[in-house]
Amino acid sequence: MPARSLSLAAVGLAMVLVFQRAFAFPVDGRQTTLPVGTELNEDAIDRPREVFRSEATGGRKSYLVDLGDMAFNASDILGGAARQAGISCGSCHVNGASNPKLFIPGMSSKPGTFDTSGPLFNPNANDFVRDAVRIPSLRGARYMAPYGNNGRTASLRDFIRNVIVVEFSGPEPSTAILDALVAYIQDIDFLPNPSLGPGGKLNTQSSVAERRGEALFNKPFPHDPTLSCATCHVPSGGFVDHMVHDVDTGGLFKTPTLLNADFNAPYFHDGRFDNYGQVVSHFDREFDLGLSDRDKSDLVAYLTAVGDGVQATEREGAAASLREISDFASVLAAAIPAHDNEAISLAVDTIGAELRDVTEHIPDLRDTTVSGGEKERNLARMALKEVVLILRRLGIDAAAGKYDDAASDYMTYNRFMTAAVPTIVLKAEAWSLFNPPIHDAHYAALHQLLSSINQSHP
Amino acid sequence: MPEAHAATPTNPASFDNAIKQYRPHLIEDVGQALSGVRTLQARVAAKDLQGAKAAWISARAGWERSEVFTGAFVPDFDEKIDAWPNATTGFHAIEARLFGANQTDAEDVTNAIVERLSALDAKVRDITLTPQGLLNGLAQLTYEVGEDKADGGESRISGTSLDDMRNNVAGIENAYNIVFASAIGSADPGLASTTSVEISKLKALLDVKSLNDVNTKALRQATEELVVTLQDVAPKIGLARPVLGPSP
Repeated sequence: MPARSLSLAAVGLAMVLVFQRAFAFPVDGRQTTLPVGTELNEDAIDRPREVFRSEATGGRKSYLVDLGDMAFNASDILGGAARQAGISCGSCHVNGASNPKLFIPGMSSKPGTFDTSGPLFNPNANDFVRDAVRIPSLRGARYMAPYGNNGRTASLRDFIRNVIVVEFSGPEPSTAILDALVAYIQDIDFLPNPSLGPGGKLNTQSSVAERRGEALFNKPFPHDPTLSCATCHVPSGGFVDHMVHDVDTGGLFKTPTLLNADFNAPYFHDGRFDNYGQVVSHFDREFDLGLSDRDKSDLVAYLTAVGDGVQATEREGAAASLREISDFASVLAAAIPAHDNEAISLAVDTIGAELRDVTEHIPDLRDTTVSGGEKERNLARMALKEVVLILRRLGIDAAAGKYDDAASDYMTYNRFMTAAVPTIVLKAEAWSLFNPPIHDAHYAALHQLLSSINQSHP
Repeated sequence: MPEAHAATPTNPASFDNAIKQYRPHLIEDVGQALSGVRTLQARVAAKDLQGAKAAWISARAGWERSEVFTGAFVPDFDEKIDAWPNATTGFHAIEARLFGANQTDAEDVTNAIVERLSALDAKVRDITLTPQGLLNGLAQLTYEVGEDKADGGESRISGTSLDDMRNNVAGIENAYNIVFASAIGSADPGLASTTSVEISKLKALLDVKSLNDVNTKALRQATEELVVTLQDVAPKIGLARPVLGPSP
């Protein structure tokens, strides 16, 4: 992966990392929508794997889940600078997980954190306190009430509305969109973890260190026998207690789940700790646990086993991107006959943006970091643009109340997207940014270009 | 039957005069790009950073206006003059030296672009300009103007991405008005007025203080709507649906 600058001072310095949005981040230069040094990690090749409860239990995602997934990835439901910059819920919660690399100068205290009451996205909600919090993963969020790092909101629905309207200056969301967002988020499951058996206990294949760690986790604290790690992180209850506690980090904060937490660093409400070792040491100090070095490493082994998950990331390829687009587009099958212009317009804009994103993954001929596949690249780019335009035509027809025409546009769209366009795009994939060596060469050239700025402003 | 007459597709040959009128504008735009880079060459040689920056901006304006033509007719020139992202050739390599590093050490790359633009300058005088190619170029460039610039756009180091877009739209408007407006006006006055309104809308959306103030969602929608209109226009004037890329 190409390196990205993570702070103003570090602009131009290469660091190894992970959106994109088909947008050539990092942000740099002048006249930019987002602050210089912004890292959205949109060009990550490996992205968090998303598991849906409906599919994991043998069913399929509902219309509401697909609509919600689309809205989640639509900057249109937000307002202000977020909409302007193409930021959506999915920018921070990539595929419903977190985004440990995200950094927005002035809004983040370190990568993976974000100040929801900062100056950029809703100046009216700016509290002039640098209080960035870590971006949480939404896996298993349906079990995690109350919501917010301090558990301030009981209802997921109220929480989402507040994020949209207050934190990101969006228009009041419709009932249908809120229903859909709730349905989507509640369908995001934890990654399965074969190390855990019933009741959140380690299964028999665990290592000795992990088992010793489990025992320590459940052992009463020496100076307060009513407490253990497991008192708050209840193994049989998703490793949470749905309460807030003061563990000397500056206030009352909600117990976070330990499930899949291996992929959720940094830790604590403000992301102050980068690894389990630091977390264990904090509790050792705070509760005077008297842990030996071996105890600490056993606890870390246990936490690592509990926090694991099968195949946490997946390679972003053209096929996966087109599959997601196809899930989003399925919304149109219901929205057009229902004359639901809100959903149609959201679909046209969001799917169009995703298709443009895939297009930008296929370099045009001016990108001299790529050689070969000229014909394939041109064809793929042309095909994707044609599809964007079919969707736009669909949007124009629906907005004019011509739903029969819109339905016929949708058939045309499907005819293209069922076989022809995926075939053409996959033929170009070898020369696209979905291919790691091409990706790296492209971003290396971009970094080299932008590094000129650093030469004059050391 | 006047209606049937009005619907008769215009014979493509009837664009000859319009294209004859259009060519001098194209020559002027490419000429401005060429004279800009020649001035740039002199300013770079004189180690005059401010003069070099001004010359670069002037050259860019001509170049971006001519993109209706370059994208569709000479994509190989486009690639060498406007490479992206590449730190070694073309306008953006020079931009990085002048505006990024604040240095004038850009002799080689400037000499190379002067050579390329001289060749292009010679070429625009006699290259065959087809109405279909120009319609393709219009559609392609319009679509491009709607591309996301949240990362600062292509000319982010100089902060002139908004100027690029405005010059693109100026080129679109010019080509449309000179080559197509009258033919479409006779074939389908309603579509002609839709097209003009949509071009004006693009201009209005770009009439803002800085790139940050562009309503990106509205701009993307407006560019796509204009391309859809151009798709509808094509058969009315005897042309094929515009192709959004170098002709296969």
